[in-house]
Amino acid sequence: MSKANITLNVRQTKPDTSVIDIQGEINAFAENVLMDAYTQATSNGARNILLNFEKLDYMNSSGIGLLVTLLIRAQRQKQRLIAFGLNEHYRQIFELTRLNEAITIYPGEEEALAMAV
Amino acid sequence: MAILQELASFTGPDWEQVGAVTLPVIERLHQAEAKMAEKWERLAEFTIANAPGNERRAMQQVVNYLRGLPISTSLFERIKTAVAETTMNAMEHGNEYSTENPVELQVLTSEDSVMIRVTDHGGGKSLPEYVQPDIEAKLEGLQSPRGWGLFLVQSMVDELRVQTDQTHRIVELIFRLEG
Repeated sequence: MSKANITLNVRQTKPDTSVIDIQGEINAFAENVLMDAYTQATSNGARNILLNFEKLDYMNSSGIGLLVTLLIRAQRQKQRLIAFGLNEHYRQIFELTRLNEAITIYPGEEEALAMAV
Repeated sequence: MAILQELASFTGPDWEQVGAVTLPVIERLHQAEAKMAEKWERLAEFTIANAPGNERRAMQQVVNYLRGLPISTSLFERIKTAVAETTMNAMEHGNEYSTENPVELQVLTSEDSVMIRVTDHGGGKSLPEYVQPDIEAKLEGLQSPRGWGLFLVQSMVDELRVQTDQTHRIVELIFRLEG
């Protein structure tokens, strides 16, 4: 069990917007693949990075730490993180940790894309 | 006797007994004592080897043992997160990923609650000072991006109890059943 159990797919939906589709677990083992996916998502100049959590199985405190690291990186590079597809439990965790104050949350991709301007 | 001691600490040395005020206080203390003596029935106990990622096994086993109880999806999610985080902490900080001493978990129920008791071999060690995570401080680089575990556990449970002796550390995660 001590390896990354996550699959990330990066797609560019608009010139300034990329989506990272997350499938699996965000924990300490996901660090390298998540950071690599972020590099890929921003390599064409995208300023809005949408994180798609629809197929997230599990995220622990280390995973939350990784999102904070990603957020720091995004803010330094003047990029914006947007989330969609979070289930009720993880939406609550975003609220408890106040991640939702720095990463705007939308229910689905359509709403998130509409706001990514 | 315990009630009188509690009452004395509540009122201070110069109190004057006034029935109408004192009786509700004693009633509340009776209720608190009854809560302490809550009867717990052990549903299951198992061990988890200390290895990164094994907290998911602990979480899944606890869920399997609790199936059949009147637990909502949202309460299950809270239990899963609290058990996973506590088990991770026990493996990493309590047992320091020892190959000898696994993490022990017990699943207990009472009339209106569920308790998950997580025991590691981290007794007798001083715990690192708890720093309340603050997202703004983390984004400004004043705190590590990590350090969310205990905060998550505290946010998920209805009650958290920690006991230690020279050998063991026991963390009790208590959840009230709804309805």
